[in-house]
Amino acid sequence: MLTREDIIRKLKDILISADARNAAALQACTEDSKILTDLGLTSVGMLYMVIAIEETFNIRFDNVGMNDFVTLRDVVDYVENKLK
Amino acid sequence: MSKTKRDYVRAPLFDLDYLLYDFGKLNFVIPGLIWLRPKWVYENKAAKKRIRGSAILMFNHTGFTDPFMDQMAVWYRRQHYVAAKELFHGKFLTWLFHVFHCIEVDRQNFNFQTFREITDHLEKGKVVSIYPEGHINQDTAGLTTFKSGVVMMALRSGRPIIPVYVRKPAHWYNRAVFCIGAPINLREVYGPMPSMQVIEQISDDLRQKEIQLSEIIEK
Repeated sequence: MLTREDIIRKLKDILISADARNAAALQACTEDSKILTDLGLTSVGMLYMVIAIEETFNIRFDNVGMNDFVTLRDVVDYVENKLK
Repeated sequence: MSKTKRDYVRAPLFDLDYLLYDFGKLNFVIPGLIWLRPKWVYENKAAKKRIRGSAILMFNHTGFTDPFMDQMAVWYRRQHYVAAKELFHGKFLTWLFHVFHCIEVDRQNFNFQTFREITDHLEKGKVVSIYPEGHINQDTAGLTTFKSGVVMMALRSGRPIIPVYVRKPAHWYNRAVFCIGAPINLREVYGPMPSMQVIEQISDDLRQKEIQLSEIIEK
C-alpha cells in the first residue's frame, strides 16, 4: 500500500517529466500548491498529469472535471481514495 | 495466397445507432456535393489514400456551416465532432448533436471522461473531427494558436492526424476546395508521452501544416 508521501513523490516525478524546465519549482511544491497558478499547468497540462497518474497508479479518473482539482492536495486525496 | 490481416479496426458499415446520421448525410451531403462541386487537392501521394480505420481529422474553423462542409471533404466516413457544451442548448440542437454523435466538451471544466470517450471512439475504428483552434476564426490574418488537446488525443490513441484545409466558396456559384494532407502519426515519432514542451511544439507544427495546405490551394 502506497503512503501519502509515496503518492506525492510520484506525483512530483510526473510533473517534472511533463515540464523539466520548471523542475526546481515543481520539486519545491507542497500539497497546498495551486495547480493552475502555482505550478503553472494549463488545461492540457492537467490532462497530461491525469493520464500519467492513471498509468502510474493504475486507477481511473471517473466523472471528475478539471475544476475538481484546485490544489495538489485534491489530487493526492483523490488518488489515495482510489487506491483504498 | 493468405489474406493479410488489417492493422486497424474497422467501424461497422451498417449500424442502427447511425440510422438517422446516415439518413441526414444522404439527404444533405449528396445534394451538397452536387451543388458545391468540390475540388479535392492533395498534399502528396500519401494524402490521396482513403482513410481506413480510425483517424483524427483536423480542420480550420471559419463558421457554423463548417461541419456540413467537412462532411463533404471526407464524405465516405462518419465523423464524430468534438463540440463545445455551449452548442448543446435547447432540445432541438441537443437532439441534433446527439443524432450526429457529437462529443460534448466542457471547455470551462474539462471532464476527463470526455477524453476517454474520444479515445474509445478511436479504438473502435471511428473518425473524430476536431477544430484545434477551439473557436470560430473569421480573422483574415490566418489561423490562431492551436490547442494541444488534439496532440494528446493522437498520442494516446496512436492514430494518425489528417490535416484538412477547407476553402469555402466566396459566392454560391463558386466551388469549394478541400486540401487534404498526408496522415501524421505522432506516436511513431514522439512515443506515447513526450514532455509538455514537445507537445506544445507539435501543436505549433500542426498549425504550420494547416497553413501549408492553405498555401497549396492558393497556388
